[in-house]
Amino acid sequence: MTSQPPPFDPELAAALELIKDMIQPGLSMEDVEAARKGPGIELLSQLDLTVGGAFEVEDRTVPGPEGSPEISLLICRPTSPAPDRPRPVVYHVHGGGMVLGDKRVGVDVILDWARELDMAVVSVEYRLAPEHPHPAPVEDVYAGLLWTAEHAGELGADPERIVIAGASAGGGLTAALALLLRDRRGPRPIGQLLMCPMLDDRNDTPSSHQMAGVGVWDRTANETGWTALLGERRGGPDVSPYAAPARAEDLSGLPPAFLDVGSAETFRDEVVAYASRIWQAGGVAELHVWPGGFHGFDGFAPQAALSKAARAAHLDWLRRLLAE
Amino acid sequence: MKELAGRLTALDPDAGAAVRVIAYFDRLAESRAGVEALVRGAAVLSGVPARLVDPDRLVRVRVEADGTRRDTELPPDPAWPSAALTPDGAPALWLERADARPSVVDAVILERAAGAARLVLDRTRGRATLDDPALVETLLDATAAEPARLHAARRLGLDTAASFRAVAVPGGPPRVLPADVRHAVPAGRAGVGPAAPVTGLPRSWAAARTALRFTAEGTAQDPGPRVVHADELGGLALLADLVVPGAEPPPDVRAVESAAADAPWLLATLHAVTATASLRAAAAEANVHHSTLQDRLAHAEHLLGWPMRTPQGRLRLHLALTMRRLTRS
Repeated sequence: MTSQPPPFDPELAAALELIKDMIQPGLSMEDVEAARKGPGIELLSQLDLTVGGAFEVEDRTVPGPEGSPEISLLICRPTSPAPDRPRPVVYHVHGGGMVLGDKRVGVDVILDWARELDMAVVSVEYRLAPEHPHPAPVEDVYAGLLWTAEHAGELGADPERIVIAGASAGGGLTAALALLLRDRRGPRPIGQLLMCPMLDDRNDTPSSHQMAGVGVWDRTANETGWTALLGERRGGPDVSPYAAPARAEDLSGLPPAFLDVGSAETFRDEVVAYASRIWQAGGVAELHVWPGGFHGFDGFAPQAALSKAARAAHLDWLRRLLAE
Repeated sequence: MKELAGRLTALDPDAGAAVRVIAYFDRLAESRAGVEALVRGAAVLSGVPARLVDPDRLVRVRVEADGTRRDTELPPDPAWPSAALTPDGAPALWLERADARPSVVDAVILERAAGAARLVLDRTRGRATLDDPALVETLLDATAAEPARLHAARRLGLDTAASFRAVAVPGGPPRVLPADVRHAVPAGRAGVGPAAPVTGLPRSWAAARTALRFTAEGTAQDPGPRVVHADELGGLALLADLVVPGAEPPPDVRAVESAAADAPWLLATLHAVTATASLRAAAAEANVHHSTLQDRLAHAEHLLGWPMRTPQGRLRLHLALTMRRLTRS
């Protein structure tokens, strides 16, 4: 079933004109190497991680999953005087379709929250597909979270107030992390913030067909990302929910979720379905569908009115979550 | 990514910048973006605040380089790069660049944004400016000279040969709607004045405010019409001058109030009797059985002390309920 995609928001359509040479809708396995070196993903990296001295920044190497290499964490601690109560911490998982990006990608948004709400930030560098297929990425993400919970004290942070967050592939890995923590009885985050998350390897929703060849991260790119992660198992009967959270049978017992997605992107229907299934399982979720938003619009065009609304919604949810 | 424009320049020096600017504004215009999006585009692409000021159409938009709307009353600096909306017009769009050196990219941004803004303003000026409270006030002010009211009408983009209605809503600014657009009356309580040419709008406004006093919330405790057209009041409108809001209510209104305090169903039931053509229709309106209605009316007659089922009694009841609405301040 293919039909006319919803129109892009006017400002976002114009912004796409600016980035169209750097960000193309599709991505093939042959493009991955070039994309890793290209300027597109760099657009989303924060250049000054201290944000003018507001954070003390450290790269820390910590143990990886059992029998695997160590992993690297980016740790940003506010330089403002320590509050009476240890700070909450955002554990961030970067995006990049499972094949691109590093721990700096998307951190500018997280640092904005951290500055607004006085939080510490930990961002994990996980191994990328296809060199490192499932479960390497999600196990790295899990190992980094365990370290963060165990060493929160060192960071002046509260292990009881960890929010896990990520965008795109990072949103998918964050959702998978929430499932893993539930099932392995690991530390319990107080919330999961899933921004336009990549959840479903089957790549077969109406929105995934509708957006073929337009916007950012179309069905070709999506197939590339999932095939890199899962190889021939992609779309087949035995895909783990820790790889593709949409495959999970049971979505009960998860921390409160925030999910958002653009109406004009591949992931629209899988994100809406995931939120619905959390509610059907008796869980807590807040869902925003941004009209005319393409994938990652608030990162690529942060000045647009719709991007400002989306970012305000993220901050508002966090503020309510942390006030509890 | 704080400075998209800066990043773009770094990644793609100068050569392509003007082409991208043109594509950006073409795309905004194609998708019929509004004025704020155009000014925001100018600010984001230039990396400095941009502002559009069109005194004739009462448009004043200022957006900072990070996309935040922040208007100001301060006058623009004549040294800033600027563009007019029309070929011979005064400057209307500015880039707030203090160290202004001639720049091709700035010139392209100004030219493209101003051209697109002119099209949007031409398309929307009627709708966009009818919200200006000072002009609407002049238009409805019987003490303002007729030339001043005509001038206000033209500034608001109203056709001086057409008819309009003034509309009064509780606690809100006056509105002026085309005479034939009855369905455009806002939700909630509203008094609608009679159709009039622009010079007759002060009378339409006075009648609209009177009509508003005859409206009710349409609830069980305040039954009655939410929207009242002054045209349809007839002689009832004279009551408005006799009943002063907030003053001691007439005896029949006091009787209704004290009866309503004893019988919660009373106001809605009596309103149904006055608003329908027969007691059967009233029973249906009040959502009760015919015999229940008869019982209630007998009870109401006892409480109020006058008959409800005679033409004279119904008129007295109708007047009492109407005066009850008029006594509210």
